[in-house]
Amino acid sequence: MNQKYKIEIIWIVAVLAILFASMGINFYVTGMKSFSVATKETPGEKTPGTLIQATGVQWSWSFEINGVKTVDNFTLTVNQTYTMVITSLPVGTGQAVIHDLLIPEFGIQVYAVPGQNNTITFTPDKTGTFIFECVEYCGYDHYKMRGYFTVVK
Amino acid sequence: MSTTTYLIDVSVTISIIFLILFYVYYKYNSTKSEMDKIAEKTDYVDTGSYFRDAIGGKNKSIGMSAFLLNDAKSIGVRYIITSIIFFFIAGTFGVIMRVSLVEPTPTLFLNRTVLYDILTTQHGLLMIYMWALGSALGFSYYLLPTFLKVKKDSMGGYSSAAYWIYILGGIFILLSRTSTRWYFYPPLSLNLNPYNAGGFNWLAVLGMEMIFVGVVIAAIVVIKMIIMDRDENVKIEQMPLFAWAVLFTLIMLVASAPFFMLGLAMTFYDFFNPIFFVSSSSSPLSFTEMFWIWGHPIVYIAILPQFGLIYEIIPKFTGNKIYSYASGVLALGLLMPLSELVWGHHLLNSGFGLEWGLFFTTASFLVVIPSAITVFNYIATLWTSPKIRLTVPMLFVVNGIFDFIIGGITGVIQSNLVLNEVLHGTYWVTGHFHFIFLGITTGIAFAVIYMLFPSLTNGRKYNVRLAHWHFTLTAVGSFIMSMGWTIGGFYGMPRFVAGYFARFQAFQDTAILGGVIVGVAQLFFLANIFVTYSKAPSIASSNALEDAYNLPAIESGGE
Repeated sequence: MNQKYKIEIIWIVAVLAILFASMGINFYVTGMKSFSVATKETPGEKTPGTLIQATGVQWSWSFEINGVKTVDNFTLTVNQTYTMVITSLPVGTGQAVIHDLLIPEFGIQVYAVPGQNNTITFTPDKTGTFIFECVEYCGYDHYKMRGYFTVVK
Repeated sequence: MSTTTYLIDVSVTISIIFLILFYVYYKYNSTKSEMDKIAEKTDYVDTGSYFRDAIGGKNKSIGMSAFLLNDAKSIGVRYIITSIIFFFIAGTFGVIMRVSLVEPTPTLFLNRTVLYDILTTQHGLLMIYMWALGSALGFSYYLLPTFLKVKKDSMGGYSSAAYWIYILGGIFILLSRTSTRWYFYPPLSLNLNPYNAGGFNWLAVLGMEMIFVGVVIAAIVVIKMIIMDRDENVKIEQMPLFAWAVLFTLIMLVASAPFFMLGLAMTFYDFFNPIFFVSSSSSPLSFTEMFWIWGHPIVYIAILPQFGLIYEIIPKFTGNKIYSYASGVLALGLLMPLSELVWGHHLLNSGFGLEWGLFFTTASFLVVIPSAITVFNYIATLWTSPKIRLTVPMLFVVNGIFDFIIGGITGVIQSNLVLNEVLHGTYWVTGHFHFIFLGITTGIAFAVIYMLFPSLTNGRKYNVRLAHWHFTLTAVGSFIMSMGWTIGGFYGMPRFVAGYFARFQAFQDTAILGGVIVGVAQLFFLANIFVTYSKAPSIASSNALEDAYNLPAIESGGE
C-alpha cells in the first residue's frame, strides 16, 4: 500500500469517527432538553404558560407580564412556562428599527421586527440574576439596551 | 456641521476628483500614443501585451504608470496598491475602536459612542470591499495573464473605468461617515440622521452601488479572460487551481450581487419616498433577506481566491505537486452553489420558524464537506512533500490553514439552529470571522505580496527579518484577539457595542491586547516597504509565482 492510500484511509476513518461521536453527543444533548425556536406568529387563545410582551424601543426594553410594566428589568418564577412575544415599535413612530433580544444563559434569541410579532416559549430552570441584551445594532445608544432579570422560586 | 455645508464640501471634493480625473485622462492619452509608437517599433500588435511583457521580464519600472496604462498587469498593480492603502486606513480604524473598549462604559470618546459606530462600520465596509475584494481582483488581474498565457489584453478600457468607479465608491463610503454597520438595514439607515451619526447614509449607499458597478464589470472582464482569452495550450481541465478559484468566485459574485444592488437602490429611493421596506405592505425583513443573499457569498468571495492562491504557493516551497487536482476543483466548485443556499443562517432567529431554520442549518453543515476537502488537500500536499521550505510566504500559508481550521469549526458550531440562539450576535461570530479573515484573506494576501515583491518594487528584496516580525506578530496577535472574542462570545458578550457588562472585561482586554499586536505588526510591513525602497534594486524583477510557474522550486525572488 503506498503512502497516498494510507493517508486517505486514516482520514476517512478519523473523520467518520469524530462525526459519529459528535452526532451521538448531539442526539444525547437534544434528547435531554427541549428547545424552542422563534416563530413569526401572534399567540392565540392557547398560549402555553404566562404571556410576556416584550417591546424594543430606542434604547431600552419594556416588558409586560400580567399587566405589570417594567423597563430593562423583570422577574420570572422558576420552572414555570412563559411565552414571550417580542416586537419593535410600529413603522411611523420614527423609532421603528430592528432589535434582537438575547438571553445567553437560557439560549433565547428573538428578533424584534417592526410590525411583526415573534414568539418563543421557554421554561427557566435555574434561579438567580441573568443578563439580557440587544445584539442587533439599533442606533446611537445601542449598547445601553441591556439589563438584568431575576428568576425566583 | 449642517447638511448644507456638508453638501458644499462633497461637491467641492467631487469637483476636485473630476479635475484630477481629467488630468489623468490627458496624461494617459499622451502616454498611450507614445507607448504605441514604441510597441510598434518592437513588432507588437497589441500594445497592452507589450506593456505586460515589458513589466514582467525586462525590468521595467512600474511606479505611477500603472494608474495610466490599461493592460491587465497595470490594472492588477493598481488594485493591489489601493487595497493596501485601504487596508491601512481600515486597520487604523479597527485598532482605535478596539482600544476605545478599554473600559465597560465608553469614556475614551467622551461618551460620543457614535464615533465607535462610525469606526466599526468603516472598518468592516472598507476591509471587505476595498481590501479583501480589491486584493483578490488585483491578484486575478496580475497573475492570470501569466498563468493562462493570455496573448492579448482586451477590454482594458472597461477594466480601467471599472477600477475608477470602484475607487470612487470607496472614497464616498469614507466621506459619508456612515454608521449603519455594513448591513444598511433600512429602518435604521433611514432613521439615523437625527443623532448626527450617519446623516449621510445616502452617500454610503451611492458609494456601495458604485463599488458594485465597478466590481461586476471587472468580474465579467476576468471571467472573459479565463474562458475566452486562454491560450489553446492551456486546456480548461488543466487550468491552474487559482484560475478555477477565481472563475467560481466571480460567477458567484455576478450571480448574487444583483440582489443587494436592487435592495440598495430601493433603500436609496426610500430616503426620499419610503415605499419599499418601511411601508405598511412590506417588512424591514425583506431588505435583510436581500442583503444576506449577497452578504453570505461575499465572505466566500473574499476567501475562495485565496484558497486558489494557497494551491499555487505550496508547490513552490515544497517541490511536489498538489495532492489531488480534481478534488481541489470539485471542492471549489461545490462551495459556489452551497454559498448561495446558506444565507438564511444569518437570520435564524428572525422568525423563520423551525422548518426553514433546519434547512439553512443543514445547508450550512454541507459547506463543511468542500471546506474539509480543501484543507485535507493542503495538508496532504504538505504531508507527502519531501521537504518544506518555511519562508515567510509559506509561514503565512501554514498559519492560514491553522486559523481556517479553528475558524471553520467555530463556524459549524454556530450554524447549529439551537446553539445559534446563544451565539448569534455575540463576539463568537466576530471571532469566527476574524480567524478566517486574518488567517486566510489577509495572511495569504500578504504571502502573495511578499512573493510578488521583486516585481512590484522593481527588483528589490524584502527584508527577511522585518517580514518575520510581521508574520509572527500578525499570527500571535490575531490568535489572541480572535480567541478572546470566541470565548467571550460563548458567555454572551454582544458584538458591535460601545459599552459592555463589566463581567466581560477580561475578554475585551484580551482582544485589545491582540488587536494592538496585530496593528503593530502591520507597521513592520510598512517599515519593510520603506527600508526596501531606500536601497537600490539588487535582483531581477521576476517573481516566484509567475516565472517558475512550471518549475517546482524557486531560485530567484523571495528570499
